Parts: sequence; structure tokens; C-alpha cells
Amino acid sequence: MSRLKVVVRSDFIDMVRFAKMIPIRTAMIEKAPNYPLPKSYAVNRTADILHPREQKLRVKEISEHTCDAKSFVLESAENRPLAYFRAGQYLSVNLRIGNAVLTRPYSIASSPSRALQGEYMVTVKRAADGFASGFILDNWEVGTEVSVSAPEGNFYYEPLRDAKTVIGIAGGSGITPFLSLANAINEKTEDAQLILLYGCRNEKEILFKNELDTLAEENDKIKVIYVLSDLKKKKAGFEKGFIDSKLIEKYAPEKFSLFICGPKAMYEFAEGEIKKLGIEKKYVRFELFGAANDAAKIKGFPKDAVGKVFNCTVKVKGDEKTKIPCMAQESVLTALERAGISVPSRCRSGECGFCRTKLISGEVFIPEETDGRRIADAKFGYIHPCSSYPLSDIEIHV
Amino acid sequence: MEKWDAIVIGAGNGGLAAAAFLAKEGKRTLLIERHNLPGGFATSFKRGRFEFEASLHELCGFGKNAGEGDVRRMFEALGIADKIEWADIPGAYRLITLDDRKKTDAAMPFGVEAYIEKMEEYVPGSKPSMKKLFALAEDIAKTTEFFGSLKGHYTTQAVKEILKNHLNFVRTAGYSVNDVLAALKVPKSARDIFNAYWCYLGVDCDEVSFIHYISMVRTYLTYGAVIPKARSHGMSSAILDAFESFGGEVWFNSHVSRINIENGRAKSVTLLDGTRAYADHIICNASPHNVFGKMIDQTDVPDYELKRANSRKFGARGLSVFLGLNKTADELGIEDHSYFIYNTVDSKKQYELMKKIETNDVLAAVCLNRADPDCSPKGTSILYFTTLYTDDAFRDVTAENYFKTKQAIADRMIINFERALGIKIRDSIEEIEIATPMTYARYTDTPQGVIYGYEAQGWDGIVPRIMMEGTEETIPGFRFAGGCGTQLSGYSSTLASGRNAAYKTLNDMEKEAEL
Repeated sequence: MSRLKVVVRSDFIDMVRFAKMIPIRTAMIEKAPNYPLPKSYAVNRTADILHPREQKLRVKEISEHTCDAKSFVLESAENRPLAYFRAGQYLSVNLRIGNAVLTRPYSIASSPSRALQGEYMVTVKRAADGFASGFILDNWEVGTEVSVSAPEGNFYYEPLRDAKTVIGIAGGSGITPFLSLANAINEKTEDAQLILLYGCRNEKEILFKNELDTLAEENDKIKVIYVLSDLKKKKAGFEKGFIDSKLIEKYAPEKFSLFICGPKAMYEFAEGEIKKLGIEKKYVRFELFGAANDAAKIKGFPKDAVGKVFNCTVKVKGDEKTKIPCMAQESVLTALERAGISVPSRCRSGECGFCRTKLISGEVFIPEETDGRRIADAKFGYIHPCSSYPLSDIEIHV
Repeated sequence: MEKWDAIVIGAGNGGLAAAAFLAKEGKRTLLIERHNLPGGFATSFKRGRFEFEASLHELCGFGKNAGEGDVRRMFEALGIADKIEWADIPGAYRLITLDDRKKTDAAMPFGVEAYIEKMEEYVPGSKPSMKKLFALAEDIAKTTEFFGSLKGHYTTQAVKEILKNHLNFVRTAGYSVNDVLAALKVPKSARDIFNAYWCYLGVDCDEVSFIHYISMVRTYLTYGAVIPKARSHGMSSAILDAFESFGGEVWFNSHVSRINIENGRAKSVTLLDGTRAYADHIICNASPHNVFGKMIDQTDVPDYELKRANSRKFGARGLSVFLGLNKTADELGIEDHSYFIYNTVDSKKQYELMKKIETNDVLAAVCLNRADPDCSPKGTSILYFTTLYTDDAFRDVTAENYFKTKQAIADRMIINFERALGIKIRDSIEEIEIATPMTYARYTDTPQGVIYGYEAQGWDGIVPRIMMEGTEETIPGFRFAGGCGTQLSGYSSTLASGRNAAYKTLNDMEKEAEL
């Protein structure tokens, strides 16, 4: 101890203060009421409305589109408020198809304010090799109950980050997040200009044409240009060909943010075109497109693994281990789902980390562009099964 | 029926440390976590090409050399000190006030000597009193070390020793920071600069215990501070890895909804999905308000717990803004790692302003690249702001106005940061995320999104909490770890609370085995 002597008031008072600490605290507790404690709090209730673990919904209405697509209006099946969201977010839909349990993300096509009135709308288009889309289109009827996640994803307009003008590049059913955004702008939930370049093969493939035309007509903050690859003759409001850098430049103001949502083939083309524009990375946002169905097409996938099938040993909490087959070209998540093992998943694109799982042994291929793992997860042997492909027998703990 | 030696509820810092130290002693331990990650607040998340630290500003109690600092010793005991890559924080802090008429701007270094010298530069004549203050800090550190060596056994012998050889501690223990600084005749301007760390404890310097505050400041200045390069998620992952390597089992995505009491003893837990797990010893990382409010059958809740919970005030609620910037810190003119930007240097006034969204301009800012230049891709930087609310300021924020509310707050924080530093960052924002009390409530289920446990108000400060610790456990086989406990919140405190809870439980196990 130093030879320093510190006195605050006086030796005596300081000692008394020290001696009284326990009696004072004891008295404070003693005089408090023994009322029951709250079971919940306003902030926690709001958090729960914004981010419910699960939302049980029911199909309220179905409308058919001309191109093997349907829109489903969903309402709560448990008389709860629907989670509010930001235009551009998606719902992860839980499905049971035969023995398989799986999830699929669908962008919410309706506006945020419609959720406050108790409705979401999602649009499902039949994909050529689609397992889930076909099931939904053939099986969902008015009254069907479906379980979905809270709204997820980061593909939304953020005024603190984005330019005032958003150029939306949409392909096919990739129009849905932009329809939501256009309505949000029209309803003044969002304050932005939207210039929509909507690419389709032909007029028949255009989804929500009437709605989009009406929005553009009513609101000068919204502009829609249809870009048709099969267009024969010039037509007002239409462009012929693909959405390339020249077309973007034709409609772009000086400053803009590019938002892109569509099929993978469109992304590959768009990426090259955007490079030509030379705009900062912060002004370009791609919606996730899901991990590849066939990993053999991914750059860097080892050729000798093509066609191989491995064993995947799975341990889910507390349960015994099970062994399932897993093809090298399909994601570990797909193998789990096919085997009917229910595991958490949402974005299915390597990004959100919801499916994070420990790889106990074995080797997997993780494509660089969909490796959304945290630094420490990579170091401590965790994988995102939705974007991991087995290269040997593996063991995982879910 | 599977029975464990111990169950730990919640994998926050407290729960992780508790679980790891139990498993290290060979106890069959089950750790249950509602989220899909370990860490609680000690985690990270990715947006675009940035990985953001979720909560840690700087970790104290981790010296430069082996055996130095309590946190380092803990990691050494678990065998993970060298499994985590650390980056040193370059300077203690820079304090800036937004009051243009009376602007304070002081950049303070680590190292007690250097700190005192710098203070003398800013406040000539402060040196003698500052020297006295840090000499006192050394005395107090010796006393707290002695307290630590007692491991909760306050014998008559120990009390005698304290009253004989630890009188500076005894004489200052009953006072607030400002009481003691006044007694030491620290000049007003020096007090203002010295008090800057106050928001780490969430209570103003008229109220918060001098012992608590000086212990924290001394630890920061003496040992410096570090941050794990893989973010706090790297730390949480390393502790979890140690836990599993000792044979522990973890269940993620598993929400404990009930703690079951049989004949007055905690015996098992029930998960939301109905799964039950059994153990005679349960350590809980959740808030006592949740445990006694909804997790334990009301007929089993001891009256003392209700009174104690009702007597307390919740600690601060948090809000953070995370920015991924597409320019370097040099290009933007962000020179320091840690900033405290306040409306006023008067902590009491500031505490009052922090009760409402509209009046709170506090921001503790961190530029991660100043500690770890490679924490983000080349040509970019990471900046995050945190503020605290000293009341339930988000109570009336509805789901409908939630996004707009948090955007408006972030907007004002950006404006204030730009104004305080005289720089522009807005056009460089490539990624932004905003975490609010709702976010903390969502991920950790703390009441009102509280991040600081129970407020360290004068009567409920760290000293009386420690002195009463031994008499406050009301349910055999059950105890708490984490930020609501004796050592209060913060990384080093919660980690220590977990280790201590494990030691006490091991002690109980030993005693019960003898019976």
C-alpha cells in the first residue's frame, strides 16, 4: 500500500458511509414491493411483431398470370399482426413435399403498408427444374395453411446509403421486390425515384403490367420501361433487346443506385454491362439468387468430384446420428432436406448464416462468391450448408 | 432420462465462460442457446463485403504479457489465449463535445504516466491531483485483488485485514466518482476529461461508484485494450471450441422456456419445443426479470427475488449504427480509434438527456481500422456508433414507425459525428445497419432491449453487490452469470461472472458429494 491517505469527508463519516452500504441496500430491497414481474415489455413485444420466429399464414386469394405463374395473397392464420417489412424483403416459406422438408425464399410483392392491413402477396413462377415452385403452383389453394419466416433480407432502399434515384433492373419474376418498392413510393412509405427496366422475352411474360402502368401513370416518381428480347417492331414504352449499359445510360440521371433482381443468366450479363458504367460498388445491389443446383457449373469445382455420392453423418441436438447420401454437386442443405431432416435455413445463398453448422470431419467445396461465413466461422470449422458441397464423406452437427 | 452434471442457459459471455470452466473440470455440461450462434452480444454480422463487430468497443483486462490481466488469465486457463488473434487499441479515447460555445476536444493516451502528462497539457496544474488519484487507484487495485483472493469468504480475519490495511478503499467505497475527485481537488476541466469513460458504465459520475469507475479506468490505462481480429465472434467461438473440446455439448436454436423447481431446488429445464433436460446445477445467463417473471412457476419464486428485482432500475438500452465506408480512415480524416462525443461534459446533465430519443446526442464511435488496418477490404473502413438510453425511450415506437425512427436517429448521429470531427462521411456509406433496443430484445430477449443489466446506481453499485453476494442466492442449485450479476455488465465483467459462477457451482458439487 502507498503511504497516501485519502479522506473524502472525514475519517468518521467515510467509515460510516462504508458501514452503511449493506444496510442501505438491504433496506432498499426490503421496502420494494413483491409484485409479480412483467411477463413482457413494450419493446420486446414490438421486436416480436417485427421479427416473429414463425408466421402461420393462410392463402386468402389466388390470381393467375399469363405465363405459368400465380400470385398468392396470404393472411394470418392465427389472428396476429403480420410482420412489417421494407420493400424488397422476402419470406422464407417452409414446405413439406413428400418426405422432404425444405424452405424457399420468395420476395414480398405487395407493399409494406398492405402488411399492416393483414396481407402479404407472393408470386411464384414455375421454374424449369423447379421442385418447390411446381409443388406450390399445383397444390396451394385458397385456405391452404403455410408457415413462413419473418421478412428477411437486405435488398431494400436505404436513404442513408443509396442515391435518390433507384434504377431497378428486373428479369422475369424478379419484378416482385420492385413492385413492392413502387407501391411503397406511391404510398409515400419510401421517398425515392424509381426507374424500372423490366426485361422479359415477350409481352406475355410481363408480370403485373397493368399495376405497373397504373403506378407509372399516377406517380411521376415511378417510370417503367419494358425491355423485350423478342420484340419485332418498335413500340412506345418498350425497348428491344437486353438491358445493357447503353440502355441504362439512356434512362439514367446523373446519380443513381442500381438494384438488380432476376435469373442468374441475367446477373452474369448485367455484371459485365455494369462494369462498363464505372460506378462505385456502393451504388450496385444484387438480390441473392440462390446457390447453384448443380455445383459442377461453378468456377473452381473440382472436376473429379462430378457424379460422386458421399455419406453425410448428421447429428441434430441430442438425437442419435443418422447417415444420409449426399451428391457432390448438390448442397449439403439439399441433401438434408431430401432426407427429411429439418434444419434452419433462409436465404439459401450462403449469405444470411441462418443454416450455420459445424463440420466435424470431411471436406466441402465452398464457392468463393457465396462464402458468406464470418471470419471466425471459417477458422473454427463452420459451414453454411446451403452453399457447401461435399468432396468426401462428411460429419456435421446441426 | 438423460441427466447432466450441469446445464447452462444462454451462451453469452457469462454463459460461455461458466460452461467452459465447468466442462474443463470434467463436468458433463449442456449449454443451451436460443440463437444459432454463441456470444449473445459478443458476436458479429456481415453486410456486403464488411464483417461488423456487434458490440465490443475495446476489451480491457488483457495485458501485453502472459499472466497479465484477469481476462488474459481466463483465456490462458482455457488454453485459448493464443487461438485468438488480437489487435492493440492505439489510444485511450478522444472526447469531443457538441457544445460550440464551450467545446472540449481532448485525445487521451494509454499508460498512466502518459495520461497524466497529457492531462497537464490540457489542464495545466492538474498533475499533482491526478498523481494522487492514480496512486489511490493502485491502492484500490490491491484491495480488490485481496477481495478476489477471498473467493466470497468474508471471515472476521478478512474484515480485520481490510479495516487495518485497506483504509483508502474503505474511506472511498461509499462515494461517487465526483465526490472523490472533489476531495482530491482535481480541477473541474480535468474531471470533465477524466470522466469521459462514464458511458461504459451507464451511470453518471454523481452516482456511479468511485471504486467501480477507477478500477475500470486503471485497467484500461495500465494494460491498454485489445480487440479480437475475428471480432468478438472470434472470442465466443474460441470459448465454445474449448468447451466442446472439454466434452461439453451445445444446443443452438433451442429456447429454454421453463426452469423447473422441485422441492425448492432447480432440477431441469424445458425448451419451447417440449424437450426437457435435467441437472442438479443450473447456471443462467438470462435476466432475473425474465427468470422470475416468466420462466419459473410463480409459486416457486422466492419473495426476496421479487423484491430485489422490483427495487432495481434497468441499465442502459443500446442503439448502434454500423457503417461500411468505401474510403480509408485516412482519406476520411478519422484519426482515432475511440471517440466519446457528448452534448455536454456534465455527465449528470448528459444522463438526463439520454432518457429520450429527441434529446440524446451521445455517441461512442469506433473506427476499427485504427486498431486493425486490415479489418475491411483495401480502400475501405469500418466505423460504428453506439448510444445508450437511460430510460425506456423506445417504448412507444411501433412496428409501423420503427424503420423511420431508427433512420432518423442514425441520420442525426452521422450529422453529429461529421460536425464533431469537421469531416464528411455520408457519401462514402456503402453499407449501413442499425441495431436498436428492439434488435437486442430480439436476439437476447433482455427486457426493453437493455444491454447493461441493472443500473449501477449508488445503493446498488458494485461494492455492496459484492459484499452481499454470498447471501443472495435463493434457489439451491441455481445461480446467475452475466451482466445482471455482481460484477455488472461489460465483457471482462461478464466473462469473470461466468467463471466465478462455475467455481461456485464446482464448490457446491464438491460439498454435496461429501454429504
